[in-house]
Amino acid sequence: MRKFVSPLLAVGLTVLSLTACGTNSTTGSAGGKVTLQMWEGYTGVEQTTFSHLVKEYEAANPNVTISVLPVNNDDTLTKVQTALAGGVPPDIAYLYGSWAPNVAEIPQVVDLSSVVKRPGVNWDDFFVGERDVATVGNKVIGIPALVDNLAVVYNKTLFAAAHLTPPSPDWTWNDFAADAQKLTIASKKQFGTAYVTPESEDAVWHWEVLLWEAGGSLLTAGNKAAAFDSAAGLRTLEMLRTMAVVQHSMYLDPSDNEYANLFNSGKIGMLVTGPWDLSAFPNVHYGVQIMPSFPGSAGGHQTISGPDNWVIFNNGASHVSAAENFLLWLTAPAQVRSFSLATGDLPTRASVAAAAGFDQEMNKELPGVSTFIENLANVKQARPQIPTYPKISTTLANMVVSVLVGSSQPQAALTTAANQVNQILNAANAGG
Amino acid sequence: MASPPSTLRRRWWHRDPGDVGGNPAGRAARRFVSSEHVGGWAFAAPAAVIIVLFGAVPIVWSIVLSFEQASFSPGGKFVGLANYREMVHDPTVRQAIAHTLEYTALFVPLTMIVGMLLAVAMNRKIRFISLYRTAAYVTMAVSTINEALIFLWLFDPSYGIVNYVASLFGLPQQPFLNSPSQALGVIVVMTVWGWTGFAVIIYLAALQGIPQTVLDAAAMDGARPWATFRRITVPMLSPASLFLAVWLTINALQLFDEVYVSTQGGPVGATTVIVYYIYEQGFQYFNIGYASAIALILLIATLVVTAVQFRAGRRYTHYRS
Repeated sequence: MRKFVSPLLAVGLTVLSLTACGTNSTTGSAGGKVTLQMWEGYTGVEQTTFSHLVKEYEAANPNVTISVLPVNNDDTLTKVQTALAGGVPPDIAYLYGSWAPNVAEIPQVVDLSSVVKRPGVNWDDFFVGERDVATVGNKVIGIPALVDNLAVVYNKTLFAAAHLTPPSPDWTWNDFAADAQKLTIASKKQFGTAYVTPESEDAVWHWEVLLWEAGGSLLTAGNKAAAFDSAAGLRTLEMLRTMAVVQHSMYLDPSDNEYANLFNSGKIGMLVTGPWDLSAFPNVHYGVQIMPSFPGSAGGHQTISGPDNWVIFNNGASHVSAAENFLLWLTAPAQVRSFSLATGDLPTRASVAAAAGFDQEMNKELPGVSTFIENLANVKQARPQIPTYPKISTTLANMVVSVLVGSSQPQAALTTAANQVNQILNAANAGG
Repeated sequence: MASPPSTLRRRWWHRDPGDVGGNPAGRAARRFVSSEHVGGWAFAAPAAVIIVLFGAVPIVWSIVLSFEQASFSPGGKFVGLANYREMVHDPTVRQAIAHTLEYTALFVPLTMIVGMLLAVAMNRKIRFISLYRTAAYVTMAVSTINEALIFLWLFDPSYGIVNYVASLFGLPQQPFLNSPSQALGVIVVMTVWGWTGFAVIIYLAALQGIPQTVLDAAAMDGARPWATFRRITVPMLSPASLFLAVWLTINALQLFDEVYVSTQGGPVGATTVIVYYIYEQGFQYFNIGYASAIALILLIATLVVTAVQFRAGRRYTHYRS
């Protein structure tokens, strides 16, 4: 008998462990009640603020339960794709704006173009940079969840020690480079500015804004060919080369995470960065100024924005409609305002940013953030919304970094990268 | 091969012509359930199911994907050998293979040599020896992420200790991870440090197996320490060396974590090794089909390399009978 029982037990355990993997995936809408599965990557104060908002919504809408799964934002698309392959996508996911063209190709993504036209949504209240990224072709694939942009954060103490006047709103890249040189003290290992060198998008979008300001563009109209091998492209790379290779006023960060510590230790004079870094600088007396412009360029002062989206996946009509209603509430001005004030994140809506006293309230929490809010008006262009962009980004990262580390000359780097980008675009067009 | 005795070939489903008892099917089923065979499989089943589910199924699935133009979503388009043809013409694949081979050629012998020297140095009765042995193995316990972050700081071009020490000796400052020609070398140093502890433990265990009588005989014949090491220790360690060579090579061909944390394949593609490129294709460009094709070729290459190593090992390895 012993022999008989143990195999059965083993088989039983196996079955049990297998079924355990399969539970919890059914969230029905029985009796008009809907449970929405929501994947997001908030941490810290963002997480607590978001939880409060969710509770508030659930209290006002007893038929809706929102089940939140914390996911590392970097991995969300991969996880969503895996869940799609398994047939159980979340109802709502927080997805990076740079994925928008890839997200648009997923058949289960709900097109929100009619939803955002509903009365009271006021779609144009979202900044143009956000709407550009949420729109792929004629589809609206998501509702803006977060917006940021790049500006210059500078160390006021180091500026004073070098007898420099702090940057003014009409400053130029010539001023920036000259200041960087004066802020560089080799013996103290102090640098004027910094740039990141891993082969990632972070090295690319810092350069793209330079290209736009110099009057260039990345691709030709219709995204058919590379357009950055131009006088404007050359001007940007030569400026970077001067600082990194000739004057050594630029600290090259191979890790993409030390520059912030170094700035906070007073080793770097100026950083081109976003509002998310401000809370990492408690030890220095810093100021924030908008990006410099290129003298004589029609590009003027611009910035680049990396907005992220709330995306809805189709799990049946009742889920979609509940998800739409929740997101419209979550991104309405009142919620955007309270979320920004609690977290220091930039407001996604222009009306919230323009409201009287909002700037000062934000600055009280996070000094300097008001400049980033004003800077949202300088978001004039968006990265190309094409599925091959990630591949193009790697090529551009190689181009910029090869100039920064001195392994190629600006014009040669531009020519090589333009050829590679054209190949990528041609291959994509040939493949349909 | 001689035919096995008939009793061994007999299975429960073979109706025994001499078996004329009542309800033979029921008896056969009872015999099946109570046989050792079933009991064994039932115990192995949970593990087997997990291996099939998380090992075999993904491999088969990725073989299917490698013939498709696919993202993660179901419904990829069958494209035949297109992904494999693309691989032949992809310059980045060639670079990634070159970087992987270069890395493996440096990492495997260096780890084995450093590991063997440390093991021999520690294979003696001195004070605090277990402390030293533990210290050597601690590098294995450090997570890859921490290891990469430590080395990022050590080799930081402006603030790192390595350049600081070099400056004390008047040596020129090196760009390390900011240099396309040096970055892979830093990754080698990083991973050799991380894996040496493993090699030390394997070699220490093997050193315990060298009989003292052989060493004593060599000493009586007047062999100097270096000759003893070269003629006795190294050959007697050869089974351990074979194991390490295979194990470290497999790991070297799959290098990913350190690159992901420290350089993300840069600068200028200098540390883009094959698995990192698979990651880029699959999870950044969403070319799952193409990534699967490269992964499959890597799997085959790894099998071939391992087979060659075992074959060569059989010839050169000294097993004590």
